[in-house]
Amino acid sequence: MTAEPVTPGGVAAGPAGPAAVTDENLRQRLGEFRALLVISLLMTESVSEDQILDLAASSAPGLGPWRIDGYSLTDGQWRPGTGRPYSPPSGLAGRLAALGGGGGKVELSGRAWAWAFPLRGTGGPLGHLVASSDREPSAEERFGIQVIAQQTGVAVSNARLHARERASAAELAAANAALAETVANLRRTMDIHDRLTRVAVSGEGQPGIARALHELTGMPVAIEDRYGNLSAWAGPGQPDPYPKESFAKREHLLRRLMREGKPAREGERLTALASPRSDVIGVLALIDPGRSAGSADLVALEHAATVLSMELARLRGIADTELRLRRDLVHDLLSGTDDESALIRAEALDYDLRRPHQAVLVEGKGRARAYDALLHAVRRALRQARQTGLCETWSGQVAVVTAGQADWDQVCRLVVSDLGGQCHIGVGGPCARPSELPRSLHEAALALRLQKTLLHGSGVCEYPKLGIFRMLAGISDLTDVNAFVREWLGHLIDYDARRKAELVHTLTQYLEHGGNYDATAAELSVHKSTLKYRLQRIRELTGLELNDPDVHFNLQLATRAWGTLQALYDKP
Amino acid sequence: MTGTVPSGIDEISLLPGSHVCAFYRGDAGRDRLLSGYLGAGLAAGDKCICVVDSELTAKRIQSLTRSCGGPGHGGRQLDIHLPESTYLAGGEFTTSHMLTFWTEGMMKAELEGYSFFRLAGEMTWALRDAPGVENLIGYESELNRVTSSHPVVVLCLYDLDLFSGEVVINVVKTHPQVLVQGVLVENPYYLAPDEFLRSARV
Repeated sequence: MTAEPVTPGGVAAGPAGPAAVTDENLRQRLGEFRALLVISLLMTESVSEDQILDLAASSAPGLGPWRIDGYSLTDGQWRPGTGRPYSPPSGLAGRLAALGGGGGKVELSGRAWAWAFPLRGTGGPLGHLVASSDREPSAEERFGIQVIAQQTGVAVSNARLHARERASAAELAAANAALAETVANLRRTMDIHDRLTRVAVSGEGQPGIARALHELTGMPVAIEDRYGNLSAWAGPGQPDPYPKESFAKREHLLRRLMREGKPAREGERLTALASPRSDVIGVLALIDPGRSAGSADLVALEHAATVLSMELARLRGIADTELRLRRDLVHDLLSGTDDESALIRAEALDYDLRRPHQAVLVEGKGRARAYDALLHAVRRALRQARQTGLCETWSGQVAVVTAGQADWDQVCRLVVSDLGGQCHIGVGGPCARPSELPRSLHEAALALRLQKTLLHGSGVCEYPKLGIFRMLAGISDLTDVNAFVREWLGHLIDYDARRKAELVHTLTQYLEHGGNYDATAAELSVHKSTLKYRLQRIRELTGLELNDPDVHFNLQLATRAWGTLQALYDKP
Repeated sequence: MTGTVPSGIDEISLLPGSHVCAFYRGDAGRDRLLSGYLGAGLAAGDKCICVVDSELTAKRIQSLTRSCGGPGHGGRQLDIHLPESTYLAGGEFTTSHMLTFWTEGMMKAELEGYSFFRLAGEMTWALRDAPGVENLIGYESELNRVTSSHPVVVLCLYDLDLFSGEVVINVVKTHPQVLVQGVLVENPYYLAPDEFLRSARV
């Protein structure tokens, strides 16, 4: 380095004399290089590009009569030096582009000297540092600027490298955090899955599902059927009595849950639908008045709803199977089956068929003719009458296989009360063995037809109580019975057939009502004078005196035999 | 005392008479330097005199060094002052007043029985808009006269977030030792007070 007899300010040395000034200048130059070293250290330790550029620019006045006007960076950005105008000097960009990665003189308005020093980093050129002075700087001063430019380039390069590393580290940390969160969520989901799967396979049923969900979420849990009735509860605070919302509100909730296909908040409750098929619905509810349920609780609720769906499907499957087995058993019993098979199948359905049973037929008129409705009404009536039995539809009627004595009049009244219209019930005789049930069914059918033929309105006809009818029905060869009927009623039967009249029926009712005109007319729904006319016609056609006790007895026996034959031949 | 004394900062030792300028960034950097430096002095039984820029900093330094007290000599071992009563006493900065402050402080401590002194100054006060603050560098140069004639080490603290590169350059020029990032940079070419005064006049 050449020691110049000129200070950075360009003024000659002071009063200590030329030799002393030279020594002081030298010391000053060496001191400045120490200062440059410190500036370099400070720039190198800095991780902020702005800090580095500011430090370099603000150092310049301490190093000589020059300044840093700014930095032109390779990304096209102009970074002004401390206290410099923000805009780059006009025409500078083109000149710097021409210089490429090297340095050289540039023109700055009002400056005697201006120079662009290249900023180089470890990865290549970073741009230029543009310095200027009011006079041509000395060689030492230019060297100082060059050192500042070089150190600035290295420091900026390091800072960018650090920034990239920090960004990479931050990205890595963020990725790790996201991964950790995902793993935690997965672990939580697996815990939920494990817990609820254990419930699903353990057969703990709906109480087990409610308990597991309560343990997973810490919140009270309710499971309800489609009507809002409580099926299971887990956790504290179970309401007693359990509140039940209106039908309309319940339907609204169910429609909303079906439409949205995900849990929905309903006041203090977070509800989810469990519906394995359209006719099977359950509702799972987290009681969450504080609205604190998080995403993990939601996952647990949805998973529990799936397990509940499986449970409901299983229960419905069992019910359907049992129903089908019962229906098949009833059909086989009434059609005829061997005792051993029937007893085993009944036992499988937990039904005791070893007791004496009887077949019963129920027929409805009016609204009661709807078969399904009649079947359900009969089931309900039997339950209310505390009568067990197997029920199934049977040729437009409802067949019941039942044991023990029942108040069939009460059952009849309950069915009419339930469905309106009319109800006829025919009760067969008792059977010691299941294989006899077809006979009991035949008797029930006969009783039902007699009830409809001879009696009117709703009512019950029990075969064992039929008396003469039962005796007549039991005769295997009906030739004599037919001849007896023809002997006493032949003229009337033929007349009815020719004239579409009802003289046999009129005579039957007259005799069944003990010759009472008013009761008979009322039963036949005709005027008394019409009844008297018909009876006169009967007397004329038969030539018989109805008041004769012997005639009266034979006619009554003939009409009952006629009714029995009608029932046997199924001709009402 | 002729041997070195521990600075309390990054295993660095100092010779008596050392006038060290330390650069740092932010309050945490200052606290680390001051607590280490004063803590070592207190532990060694030195008289510590310190000027910090605010009451809050004074309390923090007091708290950080509380457990480091040495045997003591009847008076307070650590004196912490604010610029209002030291650098800027009377509303302006004068080099002579401040040099007197340090000298009298050491003399008083010597009477109390202390044989070694540890001085520290947070220089942020020089950024205030007060008369005389432009004489900061001259003061730093003159302080070299005091340190060369007393059993003392001096630490001047400059926050790089607040001071410009020009101040850094001039401070380095006037300090025989500069502490940067745990590195003690020797400057055998620092300007002695007379040299600095001549340099400043030209």
